Amino acid sequence: MNANPNQPNSHFDEMACLHYLEGQLDRKRALELSAHAEQCGECRALLAALERESRLLTRSMREEDEPVPARLLAPVRERMPWAWIISFGMAAAGAYWLWTAIIDPWRAQLNEAGFGGTNLVTMLFFQGAQWKGWGSMWTLVQVLAVISMCVVGYFLARRGLRRMNTIALVMGALMAALLLPGGANAAEVHKNEPSYTLRSGDTVKNDLIVFGNSIRIDGTVDGDLIAFGNNVTVNGHIMGDVISCGSMLLINGIVDGSVRFGGSMVTLHGKIGKNLMVGAGTVTADSTSEIGWGVMIGGGEVTLDGRIGRDLLTGVGRLQLNGFVGGNVKIQASEGLDIGASADVQGKIEYTGPKQPDVATGAKLSRPIDVKIVERSSKYASSGSIWHMFLQWGAAFIFGLVFLGLAPEVFSECARNAGRYGISIGIGFLFWVGILVASFVACITVVGLGVGLSAFLLLGIATYGAKIVIAAWIGRMALRQSANTGAVIGGMALGLVVEFAIRALPYAFWWFAIPVAAWGFGAFCLTIYGRMRPGILAATSSAAAI
Amino acid sequence: MMEAGKRPEGMNESDQQRLADCIARARTGSLEAWGDLYRKFAGPIFRFCRRALPTREDAEDATTEIFMKVREKLGQYDSSRPFQAWLYKVSANHCWDLLRRRRIRQDLETQDVDETPLEHPDANQLDRLLEESSSKNVRGALAKLPARSRMALVLRYYSDMSYDEIGESLGVRRNFVGVVLLRARHQLREALAGHGSRGMAAGRTP
Repeated sequence: MNANPNQPNSHFDEMACLHYLEGQLDRKRALELSAHAEQCGECRALLAALERESRLLTRSMREEDEPVPARLLAPVRERMPWAWIISFGMAAAGAYWLWTAIIDPWRAQLNEAGFGGTNLVTMLFFQGAQWKGWGSMWTLVQVLAVISMCVVGYFLARRGLRRMNTIALVMGALMAALLLPGGANAAEVHKNEPSYTLRSGDTVKNDLIVFGNSIRIDGTVDGDLIAFGNNVTVNGHIMGDVISCGSMLLINGIVDGSVRFGGSMVTLHGKIGKNLMVGAGTVTADSTSEIGWGVMIGGGEVTLDGRIGRDLLTGVGRLQLNGFVGGNVKIQASEGLDIGASADVQGKIEYTGPKQPDVATGAKLSRPIDVKIVERSSKYASSGSIWHMFLQWGAAFIFGLVFLGLAPEVFSECARNAGRYGISIGIGFLFWVGILVASFVACITVVGLGVGLSAFLLLGIATYGAKIVIAAWIGRMALRQSANTGAVIGGMALGLVVEFAIRALPYAFWWFAIPVAAWGFGAFCLTIYGRMRPGILAATSSAAAI
Repeated sequence: MMEAGKRPEGMNESDQQRLADCIARARTGSLEAWGDLYRKFAGPIFRFCRRALPTREDAEDATTEIFMKVREKLGQYDSSRPFQAWLYKVSANHCWDLLRRRRIRQDLETQDVDETPLEHPDANQLDRLLEESSSKNVRGALAKLPARSRMALVLRYYSDMSYDEIGESLGVRRNFVGVVLLRARHQLREALAGHGSRGMAAGRTP
């Protein structure tokens, strides 16, 4: 089947003929070809054959050789796929778990400890405080929360309402919500000073915010004190709360409100009107100290010799209790509990630790200690309860649904990228460590605290989300199709089942959970990277993009 | 020249106008309009999937999924452009994505186009082959082609897509679309002539 060998250049090749027929040749060349074809029978015949072939192709493909399946012609109805039914059940189970396993116990414990309040977050940080200085950061958090809720609301409502109405409604709600927090009052702020001293006799008629290496308050603050510094000493009088972060906090004076501190060491000689809430390595409250309401401590070495008006709640290494406690005591200690001779506890004591507490003779306890001995064992064995896992599964599933609802394309791209295991796992580990270090650095350079904490938070969320990505990938592999939302959800549910099943195996944390976290996280990073530089992944995802 | 510019549903102007109204209503959420739209295009899209995908079941599922996608993305459709072109683009991307994910054929993995020269056909012989081939034969031969070749032929001769659209859907540079189509035709001829499914070997100069 060769062209005439004697005139190899005079004929047009098949490609040119096809392009001519399809109108793909430029005008000049098309004219050349048609002029040639008029003279050349061979090329004319080829053109005719190719055209015939085109017609045959179109006819064969368009011929209605088989009826359209009745299933497709049935009236379109709103379907309620099984995946949705299951997801509602799971969502309910997950929400129930979040409430019963995390929120409710915390609430109950806080209430028990005398931290009465309505809103958990406000209570943790700013309970009862008329404090406005944190405003900018807090408002940002609120705004983000409100925006995410509005986005969720929009996605939920958009099917029922017309697009514009939905947008209007959601925007209205957004504006209303943003207006609610109200304007913030200014506070007195001192930054970039190596040391700050509020002299005795001086009064700050407002909230006082100080960043500095050494901070010393001998005077009076008629509001809250927010202090970020290496050494913070309060000898004077704080009418509001003290919120502090740094290496050492020493309180010799009087705080009318609550004290909240995160750092390495707290020493208390003075008086706190309301609550003390501390996360620190060493906490010492000597016999002259007085705390009006409750105490909540997470720490290493804790000594409490003073007076506590209400409940005491601790999760510590070792606790020495020699003082007075007006309410109940709940202690979790990994090292042990010593109750000294001068201790006086009015309420009940619940203790969880590795061994029996040492109670000195002479200690006044209203009733025997409720002791629970916990061996320091691998927690994986104890968390093996099916029900517990089921609920965790539900929570992960809800997370996945939210992810899918908010960013369906990112979701499926993540699952697709997870298919590139090697690079995903590598990038996952690299970025995970990198971000961890970076956010730590941001945190210890005080100015970047907000940034560092947000990065930690995001990293945490992304790490948790990693298992969803992998679940989605498993689902894709298993079900083979993932364009259908029901199938995606079903696949994710299945993937999560597989993951949780594997995690029940011994030591799965090390050989499974960590690599999976890196893997999913890496796939997520790849997706984000691809979205920022769309050109790179265009070659692989162009067919998927519509 | 081939009768280009006609899609399988062949419509006149008033049909187009009615279709535009229908789409506009469907976009505001009218179930009735969506139902009309669906009924109008379910057949052509099913047949499209039937040609592009290996089994009937695949085609049924894909049709359902494509319409779900279309419904979700109807808001993104630019109404100044022909609806069918958009619809086929969505369908093409969906089917091609499906095929790619399944890796049905190795050729899907190699993105570059085979550029070995094709043998020049003898027009009379080709004519004879076409003469002898029924539509049914052609469909049978199509089913034996590698996925990309088959997809290219379907996009061009069933959906009447432009070279640009085909290139975009298949992830092939526009200049190569003609090469892909021609190569696909050669493979089809091989299959029609009864050379079995070894399509890739078709047309190689000995």
